[in-house]
Amino acid sequence: MKLYEYIIRRLILLIFVLFAVSILVFYFTRGFPRGIAPWAAYIHPKMTAEQIQQVIKEHGFDRPIYEQYFYWLRDVLRGDWGLTGAWAQGKPANEVFFNHFPYTVELSVFATIITVAIGLPMGIISALKNNKLPDHVCRVIALAGYSTPAYWFGFMLQLVFFYYFSVWGLPNLPSSGASTLGKPNITGLPILDGLLTGNFVYAWDEFLHLILPSFSLAFISLGFLARIVRASMLEVLRQDYIVMARSKGLKERVVIYRHALKNALIPAVTLTGIFFANLLGGAMITEYVFSWPGVGQQALRAIFQGDSNFILLYSLVFAVIIVLANLVVDVLYAFLDPRIKY
Amino acid sequence: MDKKQGEHQPILEIKNLKLNFHTYLGEVKALNGVNLKLYPEEVLALVGESGCGKSVTALAIIGLLPENAHITEGEILFKGENLLKKSKEEMRKFRMTECAIVFQDPATYLNPVLKMETQLKEVILLHKEDLKRAVIAEEKGEKIGYEEFLAMKNVVDKQNKNYKVSQKKINEMAEKLILDILKLVKLPDPQRILKSYPHELSGGMKQRTMIAMALARRPSLFLADEITTALDVTIQAQILYLLKELRKKIATSTLMITHDLSVAAEIADRIAVMYAGNVVEVGPTRAIFKEPFHPYTQMLLKAIPNIRNPTTRLESIPGTVPEMINPPPGCRFNPRCSFAMDVCRKDKPELKEVKMGHEVACHLYE
Amino acid sequence: MKTRRGEWEARLADIKYSLYLLRKNPLVMAGTLIAAFFILLALLANIIVDPKLAYPEGYPGGMYPFERKYVWNANHFIQWGPGVSLYYGPEFFPLGTDSYGRDLLKMIILAIPVDLYYATIITIVSAIIGTLIGAVASYAGGIADEIVLRITDVFFAFPALVLALVFASILGRSLETLTLALILVWWPPYTRLMRGQVLSEKEKPYVEALKALGASNIRILFRHIIPNAIFPILVQATMDFGGVILTFSALMFLGFSPSPAIPELGNLAADGYGHIFDAPWVILFPGLTMLIISLAFNLVGDGLRDVLDPRLRR
Repeated sequence: MKLYEYIIRRLILLIFVLFAVSILVFYFTRGFPRGIAPWAAYIHPKMTAEQIQQVIKEHGFDRPIYEQYFYWLRDVLRGDWGLTGAWAQGKPANEVFFNHFPYTVELSVFATIITVAIGLPMGIISALKNNKLPDHVCRVIALAGYSTPAYWFGFMLQLVFFYYFSVWGLPNLPSSGASTLGKPNITGLPILDGLLTGNFVYAWDEFLHLILPSFSLAFISLGFLARIVRASMLEVLRQDYIVMARSKGLKERVVIYRHALKNALIPAVTLTGIFFANLLGGAMITEYVFSWPGVGQQALRAIFQGDSNFILLYSLVFAVIIVLANLVVDVLYAFLDPRIKY
Repeated sequence: MDKKQGEHQPILEIKNLKLNFHTYLGEVKALNGVNLKLYPEEVLALVGESGCGKSVTALAIIGLLPENAHITEGEILFKGENLLKKSKEEMRKFRMTECAIVFQDPATYLNPVLKMETQLKEVILLHKEDLKRAVIAEEKGEKIGYEEFLAMKNVVDKQNKNYKVSQKKINEMAEKLILDILKLVKLPDPQRILKSYPHELSGGMKQRTMIAMALARRPSLFLADEITTALDVTIQAQILYLLKELRKKIATSTLMITHDLSVAAEIADRIAVMYAGNVVEVGPTRAIFKEPFHPYTQMLLKAIPNIRNPTTRLESIPGTVPEMINPPPGCRFNPRCSFAMDVCRKDKPELKEVKMGHEVACHLYE
Repeated sequence: MKTRRGEWEARLADIKYSLYLLRKNPLVMAGTLIAAFFILLALLANIIVDPKLAYPEGYPGGMYPFERKYVWNANHFIQWGPGVSLYYGPEFFPLGTDSYGRDLLKMIILAIPVDLYYATIITIVSAIIGTLIGAVASYAGGIADEIVLRITDVFFAFPALVLALVFASILGRSLETLTLALILVWWPPYTRLMRGQVLSEKEKPYVEALKALGASNIRILFRHIIPNAIFPILVQATMDFGGVILTFSALMFLGFSPSPAIPELGNLAADGYGHIFDAPWVILFPGLTMLIISLAFNLVGDGLRDVLDPRLRR
């Protein structure tokens, strides 16, 4: 089928997925009998029973669940995602979300860059020196990467690079939070805004703050990427056309770079795209460990408080990101591999 | 023709080559003392069943054996030098300038993500010096085509060493020469082919481009590993015809590997018959067909249907090819040979000349 | 019956070859040894260490009698630097104490079987459920296949952690509900994997031959297709095991545990959250144990994947 037909088909699928996700999450957060009460996020222990009832009526939690859903849907289509609970000062959910989203984007971009910069060469070296020492070393590093508990690694980094460095008198990296030397007013991305407004101190400080959390995130993903690249390269190096390239008398380096890599990197590129999308939605633990003011940290609090409005917004945005990322990646695949025709 | 070749020195000589493959189940003794001579400007067909070691021999010559292959004994002499003793870099240069191989299945031997242009040009761009000279010559007004390029090979030109030629001009010359070669292999619309990807070409066209890639490096040694096997019969005929034509123009020594005796009959000057890792008979084509000495060759010929006698019964050779981990001792053909004697089970026979230019490895002829 | 024996002989030869390949790889052997060590430790844990040490009698609900909270031995050869409270008493804690004053080493030993046990249950159950659903749905084809595919699509629109968190928060805080939550999160990948396998097996000639012989669909699916397609599932399960342990303990770390005193690696680490600089061992050692266990299983799984890759075998 033609390319645009394929894309349209996938987008329709996206709408279906969004509905399914919204219904599921709605039910789980508001209708499920055993869970946290949906009004729990809006009350505090000092309220009287009457006040609690008032809160319930205000938000419409006393209505039947399907009625609640339709009201919610109507509001959402008008752009109103409802208010958050006390944990976020009752601000509108989308305001809270989009205030924090750029920080997560920043973190994800940096983590992806580090992942690719380290993971890719690691995978290639592993494949070229298959079963020799560099391969074994890379393999252990890669597997250690995704065997590492996210919460543990973040803390270890903080311990060494912040605490011990300062104790030992070395220049240290900041341990948590984002930079407070300025405000991201233009694009919302602190580093970018710092550069755009000429506030280089701010941009640099933000960069320093980014190093540890990005590396913590990247360490876990780069192992995965390295393994995939390795497997892909090994597969390609076994192909007949590599023997052919060698038989032409080409230098080995040319054989690897021109013939092997192009083929082997196709799955790696697509995988990186998926990685990035996942990072955008779910670096929760890292954000928690580093007190990074991103969207994952907010989502964590929301889930604990049972704030259905925020959870719904978060889930749906993330579903869109993931499905779109999958779509982009699939289309990209078609461009990279000339054999695939739409 | 026989007399002429008897006076020349062989350009390629394989002496007693023994090769094993190291596998989980044991050592596969693939080559058991192969002896082969290839003379300049001739076509030698290496014929045998699947698994007898023909392709392995070709890979050994060009130095592209898989990792688990070990050469235990023997020499491969090219113009007097032993290829097995050469370093990796020397072998690379060998492949670049002297030896070209075309493989069986063009579909898997072409890189699917690179355009044909890249894959063809990269071969010729390796010969920067000669391309430079070609550009200089063209600027002086000479006509430069593939034939002239051929003639430049091995002629050292010290005059224009310091003359600078731009990369762009070199690329253009490369493209011109490639187009010339593509016309030589009878590919229609060469410009379009350059811009295509391999999967957009038909099997016959792909095979021709592979031959073009071989020609681009002006080899003195051309190895053709079952190049017609993957093609259907009409294309096969076309390719063979093309090879015969090229042969007249380009004086390369060719080792034509095939399991099809009729292909050998069509194009070869001499035929070498291989069985289970040994060359068992070698001789001029006519002689092999008229007077096959080795029992294996005789049975091979009896298995070919004869168009003049369509009703004679085809005979197949009893038994199967031996498995090479524990091959039969002595002459490896003895379990299937109707003339087997005691000595055949003990001693391996060596190639001996029985008639002018016609050698056999069989105890019957000692 | 002759064919059955032939089948098993072939499978046995295959397995022998796989073991031979595995032995050639030193990393996989190391991983297997470490994993075996931990499994053994898990089985013997309650014998080595008195489980009552985790819950001293008469002190339910986290009120422990010890004064020695978050301390490190004064005469230990590892010195953590300033800010660490030191213990000068008679007992020696090789890995320090946690927030309740319990010996951290003993707690870790008690925690290992807990983690391994739940991870095993989660992996096996989700693998079985996912595989069955995937196999049946894709073999049946048609609407059943479409529905199952869409359902897995929805599940894939979430990262594993978020989904697990959502399930955990609604199902309540107990180890069993956490297990259930993770099972619900972990079955879709198996379904997809199995689906891919079954779809390609379905087209193979032997299935047609079996149908021509009159075999029922159930027989074809269970006795022929599934055994042929099972290898990638096994590899995936082994690799997932490490991931499941990590996620399970991550959930406990984030606060889903029913009681802060339960010996479980994530739970133990959660204790040290606010004390990273003055009591780093509380997070360091449980996390390190987690890393080693997960690494060991991942090494085995990775090695298995290399070995079972049909293109790498000779």
